[in-house]
Amino acid sequence: MSGLLAVVAPILHQLAAQLPAQAPQGKNLVAAQAAIGVGFSIHILIAGLVSGAGELGPAIEFLGYMRQRRRYDRLARALGHFMTLYFSVSSTIAILLITVLLVGFWGHFWSTIATIGWWPFFIEAWTFVLQVSLAYLWYYTWDPLRGFKGLHMAIGGLLAVASFLQVYMIDIIASYMMTPTNPQNPLRLALNPTSYPLTVHRTVGNLAYVGFVFAAFSAFKFLRARDAEDRAYYDWAGSFGILWGVSMTLVQPIVGYSYAKEIQLHTYAAWYKMMFGTLSPVFLWQITLLGLMFIVSLVYFTRRLRTDEATGAGLLSLMTIGMVASTVLAAMPYHLSLTYDSVLAAGLNRPFWDGGLINPLGSMIPWKVLALMGYSLLAIAAVIWYLRGLPGVVWGHARRAEQRLLVVMALLTVMMMVTMGFIRENGRAPFLISGEMTIQGQQNTQTTQPTPQPTSVP
Amino acid sequence: MIRERLATAYNWFDERTAVRSLTRKGLYEAVPVRGAWFYTLGSATLILILLQLVTGIFLTMLYVPSVTEAWASLEYLKQHDAFGSIVRGIHLWSAYVLLFVIGLHMVRTFFSGSYKRPRELNWVTGVGLFVLVLGMAITGAFLPWDQAAYWTAVVVTNIPAYTPFIGSFIRALWRGGDFVGPITLVRTFGIHVWLIPAVLFPLIGAHLALLRKHGEHGSYINYRGAYRAREGVDVPPPPKQRPIEPPYPAVPSEEVWAAPLETEDFYPYQTFKDGLVSALLVVVVFILAVAIGAPLEAIADPSTTNYTPVPEWFYLPLDQLLVLVPQQLIPLILVLPAGGVVLMLLLPFIDRGPERNPFERPAVMVPGAFAVLFVVILTLLGSGRLFNQ
Repeated sequence: MSGLLAVVAPILHQLAAQLPAQAPQGKNLVAAQAAIGVGFSIHILIAGLVSGAGELGPAIEFLGYMRQRRRYDRLARALGHFMTLYFSVSSTIAILLITVLLVGFWGHFWSTIATIGWWPFFIEAWTFVLQVSLAYLWYYTWDPLRGFKGLHMAIGGLLAVASFLQVYMIDIIASYMMTPTNPQNPLRLALNPTSYPLTVHRTVGNLAYVGFVFAAFSAFKFLRARDAEDRAYYDWAGSFGILWGVSMTLVQPIVGYSYAKEIQLHTYAAWYKMMFGTLSPVFLWQITLLGLMFIVSLVYFTRRLRTDEATGAGLLSLMTIGMVASTVLAAMPYHLSLTYDSVLAAGLNRPFWDGGLINPLGSMIPWKVLALMGYSLLAIAAVIWYLRGLPGVVWGHARRAEQRLLVVMALLTVMMMVTMGFIRENGRAPFLISGEMTIQGQQNTQTTQPTPQPTSVP
Repeated sequence: MIRERLATAYNWFDERTAVRSLTRKGLYEAVPVRGAWFYTLGSATLILILLQLVTGIFLTMLYVPSVTEAWASLEYLKQHDAFGSIVRGIHLWSAYVLLFVIGLHMVRTFFSGSYKRPRELNWVTGVGLFVLVLGMAITGAFLPWDQAAYWTAVVVTNIPAYTPFIGSFIRALWRGGDFVGPITLVRTFGIHVWLIPAVLFPLIGAHLALLRKHGEHGSYINYRGAYRAREGVDVPPPPKQRPIEPPYPAVPSEEVWAAPLETEDFYPYQTFKDGLVSALLVVVVFILAVAIGAPLEAIADPSTTNYTPVPEWFYLPLDQLLVLVPQQLIPLILVLPAGGVVLMLLLPFIDRGPERNPFERPAVMVPGAFAVLFVVILTLLGSGRLFNQ
């Protein structure tokens, strides 16, 4: 042991000498961005599930009560169990990110945003306390309150409200960073232009995300299940999860479009970067990914009905073809180059059949808007048809291929979450707070910090 | 002595009008116990419409429907007539509450499957009433002739122009020319106080007559026990059905939906609940009318360049859609609300099965739930946008 220490100690000493003595404030920008980007992505991937579970779990419990079906109760309870296990993981990552990475790399930014968003942060802290208290209470009183289901569901309802408020408070900060308003007025801060669209987008997104991930989890459990009851339950839970996820996701085209519209109206540079600039290929990937998610879901619906020869599989196949067509339309690039600026610089701003680099079919208006409408309308039709066919399904009969589709769906959703975060955070660049504070050196470009008001002396 | 004379007078009156049996017929009807509070939404709607009528009559005694006098007459109310100002406030706030309550009433009817046989025409008249109430609200918004009213008129009268072939004609007919002006105001006033009420009140009569004919039954919530028995999931206690006799009007359409398991008399049980909810809403309206009142902006100025129009809250979902959707696709988008109304009218004829359980009717429930969800989300997004104009 002492020999090992004798070898390791000098190496550690040398490594320590290489490290900066203080936090690397504003230095090593790429490392800071990478560390914070990766860290927050991991945090959001877990926190999104926790928040979604806090809202979906009580809803499923209520649904089970209304329908008098035990398996709903089992699924809701599983979501509660997940919350009790992963709430602390998610919050530990968040605390590490704030205290180590944000304070260490962007201390000035953090102190500024904490000053501006003091009220949302204050409420956020208390909603955390409320959320975790209610989550444990909700989960651990399941059996003791079996005779008082109304009371238990009321606790679940409060948990859903706390989970929503917790997301809303942090969305105020995130949306402020994209579309800042007068920071002196907490109400104006809370109602900044992208606050509502981002909150709706994230709330609906978290609900969809938890559905898809639990569907994938159920798929794993289904494949490992030995008795018929478990197989039937996990088959149903997988189907329920993807159905729920699709039902939520089909709202997203209109909410996401509203979000982009507000960014266009209030932070035009960020919007231009996303639609025409360096982020436009990523945006194109995002809108294609959305189409892929719908296609995989529709293929699952079709296959699941076909496995039990339930009615509706044929029409769902046709809808899948329609969804593929919509995805192709959405995936078409407008400028056949990395950015629109390079097309303009080369003087090739004309259709490709005239020797230019423009593909009119790839324009947002009207083609991509039509593709988005196609996504939503076809998904609604698919949900209806799948539900119509479900009475003909025997739970437990699912095949392995269908379970793989559920896993693929969850992976696509994770990719979507990371892609959206990447676009939003990079859309602001070179600013940490749009037009207010730069990333480089955390320079204030405007006075954003609240100035102390003179107090009258009696 | 006085009592005897009053009784004699009442008997004399009853002999000629049959008021006693009419009152009995009106008050003693079997209504379901389960879901009774949900049914108060219908009577609350009626009370709020009557409140609109009464306050509207008061306002017509002062309001002048001309572009030079309309704003001035309301400004006079605001500055010099405290009672009139409150009446105008009640007119406005009861309209807002009415839209909310009638919306809830429709949602309840839709989700509980109350529109099914033999109540198809109750639903159709109800949809008609909903559309007419919306029409009343939007035409009423033109009348103050302040900036908000003028720009609302500009936007709303332009919407019919997107109708294929006859759109421009309808717009010109409503506007009285190419632009919003004096004729628009007079025509909209005529529509608001004569045309729409002339259809609205007979339709209310028809709705109530049909309600009495078929009874306040038909909702899923009334029959949960019976439903479960049919499914074999649960065995309910023997049904305690009331004898169906005049004036109890429940006409059995199918064995299982003949009558609810448990009923009570309309008077005093349901009337108490109806009265309580309606009174509560009227108090809320009164408080809002006194505390906030009805706003009146600066007089309409078509030449202004710095005024940002703000739509009425009930118009927000459509307004948000118009903001989001590119110009080329607006006709396509306007098909949605128009198609929605047509689908609502056709609903009982599309969903004809006896099934009333919302979970067993995905073909209608899912589009309905998404429609409600989209309206709520568009309203939220629209309200967020308003704060940042």
